[in-house]
Amino acid sequence: MEPIISIQNLRKSYGDKLVLKGINLNIYPGQVIGYIGPNGAGKSTTVKILCGLLGDFEGGVYVKGVNLADNAIAVKSYIGYIPEQAELYDVLTPAEFLGFMADLYGMDERLARDRMTKMLGAFGLQGNMNDRMDTFSKGMKQKVLITSGLLHNPDIIILDEPLSGLDANSVIIVKELISKLAKEGKTIFYCSHMMDVVEKVSDRIVLINEGTVIADGSFDELKQQQGNESLEKIFAHLTAKESLNDAADQLMSAFD
Amino acid sequence: MNIFNKVLLKMVLLPSSLYKRMGVNIHQLKAILTTKLIMDDRRPNSFQQMRQKARRKPVSTATLSTMFMAVVVGCLFTYMSFILTDTITRFTIYFSFFIAFLASVLIADFTSVLIDVRDTYIILPKPVTDKTFVLSRLLHIFIHVCKIVIPMILPGAIFFGSHYNIVVLIAFLFMVIMATLFTLFLINACYILILKISTPQKFQNVISYVQIAFAIFFYACYQLVPRMMNKFAGFNINHIKFIWLLPPYWFAGTIQQVYEPVNTVQLWLCVVLSVAAPVFCLWLVIKYFAPSFNKKLSLISAGVSENADKTTVKQEVTATTYSMFLAKLFTKKGTERTGFLFTWKMMLRSREFKMKVYPSIGYMLVIIVLMFFNMKGLSFGDIRLQNSKGRVATLIVIYFSNLLLIGALGQITMYDKFKAAWIFFTTPVDVPGKIVSGAVKASIAQFFFPIVLITFVCLVSIAGIRIIPNVLFGYCNVLLVSAVSAYLTTNKLPFSSAPTIRGSVGMLRLFTVMILGTLMAFAHYSLYNITAVIIILVFISGGAAWMIFDSIKKYSWQKISSNYED
Repeated sequence: MEPIISIQNLRKSYGDKLVLKGINLNIYPGQVIGYIGPNGAGKSTTVKILCGLLGDFEGGVYVKGVNLADNAIAVKSYIGYIPEQAELYDVLTPAEFLGFMADLYGMDERLARDRMTKMLGAFGLQGNMNDRMDTFSKGMKQKVLITSGLLHNPDIIILDEPLSGLDANSVIIVKELISKLAKEGKTIFYCSHMMDVVEKVSDRIVLINEGTVIADGSFDELKQQQGNESLEKIFAHLTAKESLNDAADQLMSAFD
Repeated sequence: MNIFNKVLLKMVLLPSSLYKRMGVNIHQLKAILTTKLIMDDRRPNSFQQMRQKARRKPVSTATLSTMFMAVVVGCLFTYMSFILTDTITRFTIYFSFFIAFLASVLIADFTSVLIDVRDTYIILPKPVTDKTFVLSRLLHIFIHVCKIVIPMILPGAIFFGSHYNIVVLIAFLFMVIMATLFTLFLINACYILILKISTPQKFQNVISYVQIAFAIFFYACYQLVPRMMNKFAGFNINHIKFIWLLPPYWFAGTIQQVYEPVNTVQLWLCVVLSVAAPVFCLWLVIKYFAPSFNKKLSLISAGVSENADKTTVKQEVTATTYSMFLAKLFTKKGTERTGFLFTWKMMLRSREFKMKVYPSIGYMLVIIVLMFFNMKGLSFGDIRLQNSKGRVATLIVIYFSNLLLIGALGQITMYDKFKAAWIFFTTPVDVPGKIVSGAVKASIAQFFFPIVLITFVCLVSIAGIRIIPNVLFGYCNVLLVSAVSAYLTTNKLPFSSAPTIRGSVGMLRLFTVMILGTLMAFAHYSLYNITAVIIILVFISGGAAWMIFDSIKKYSWQKISSNYED
């Protein structure tokens, strides 16, 4: 099967600092990729390159066979991006904001209106469709962002910490949604620090550290390799330079 | 979207077929511009930013209020031109103010309105071509500038059109375009300069200072210029040497040459410069400034630190030891000192606090200068001799310093991120009055003492040491008034409540200060020359102030009206 996303020897540096040191990754349709790594590992940089936010990288990135460097516009139209922080124009109402998004994707107005009403309704935000978002809670804004990423029915969905600020019920909805989207054949690229969620939703986990992929496989495969531990433990084992137990001991010793 | 935005949008989209040929997606372009214009309407504009605003009251007519303000300002410029009689002087003054005002508005808008860093996350991941995005930005800037420039020149255009002739009017309009281009260059240059000398992180702060300086400048002009104008009706700007080096003179010179040509090299040079300089500047911006500029600008509010990895342990800076010194001098160890140091730092670092307090201090200074201006025939000799005029001037200097303080005192309880005040409510603070007292003292130490120091040195160096008892008595009274007003009105913890319009509390504070201050100033004036009494009163007034400050310290949780607001 042809990979839907193919990343070949991807390198990126900020000034002198090499952040991505040759990432190689083939992602196939319908996969849910849990993309994890410690802070500063290069997760966000990879995501930003995939979404066309960062230009000057080395190596090849192909989405549905299209070279990102040659035709970023086509690549962008395949992808739905749900950013991490509640980055949105909050003086707009959800209806206005989502309408704007739909325009940028060149969607039919009536179709967009219909979809956003249904989606916001599912999130319980139908009554807030025409309220300005500057009064919204973090969770409400996050729901609007999730809607904005799915509105144009993209084949690839990139989620960067999508659950931040959501209440428990909404977390269940989003988790359910991810598995349903995957069943529909959508490819999900899921970036998160929340190991328990990653463990549950992803069928393939890619762990990066200091700009290189250090583990890649299903959770069961990783468990086999690393000795039947939880993802949290595997993560710590592979990425922490020093024992985390020692760090906790050192913290405790401050009381002495 | 209001009618002006609609018309301007229609106007910029007229050459759609041309844009299409350039490879721009018209549908997306329209969507971006429409959204941006709707947002402009809902964002507090430069004039509203500095004023206190009721929270949760959404702004929806920012564009209209910007345009209205621009008309008012335009009327002011036109009035000045109306009084002056010489053509070139008239237009030089007009264009000087035009450029200064436009720059002051745009300098803030460029970062907050026109170049929105959120675009990176919202628009750029969408299938929008660079050409469409860049054109949308340029057209947005164009519309924004039009919304300020057109209403601003309207009064001038009517006056010049009726006073001169149609040819002069056309020349005037053409020069307005050139002056606008030149202003855009100035702002670009200013940005580049600020980015050179400071970091992107500090950029917003520097811009705020520039804004504050402009606000005070315009307030001063608004107050002073009409008063001075009568004296300068016959003023001729040509008498100033090297005036031809200044751009406003070029624009004025060109209009002069269109109206009544004067055959001097200087004026013909103006005509050339008035067109060549803005075009050259524009070329400079496009060729050299814009590319690096955009990249750097995206760092500004993104909060990206290029050298985030280089964590250096900062040494304790001298400011800390200075504040520590003052804290030790005025507060007791423990909660009160904590309150003092916390408030001291917050006042220096919170941009919103500075944006509200610094301009009001500037306005007060302008008013004080104005009062001297109005005291006809006042000279340093009067203050030196301490005759009745000199005494009044001395007392004005001393007692008006109080007004500088009330702005700060009124603001220390308010903060946009007021929810952070949980720290006071979750920690075992037994007597919150100590924190309030520390906060009040910090604002006095930061805003009042520097003024005391400066005015003390000035007055003593002019009038000699015999003035000292009176100066001290004045300052003790001012402290007493501040103490009373703080006691009556400051019953909240510092930086703990949402910004609101100054209601009854603000009025109460102002009245206490005005009435009590005025009464004390009159009493002081009548006792001015009885030095022995004045010396005794210094101790009484100072002691009373100290006692009131001390009683603020005793505020219990019942007296404090702060609740944790969520």
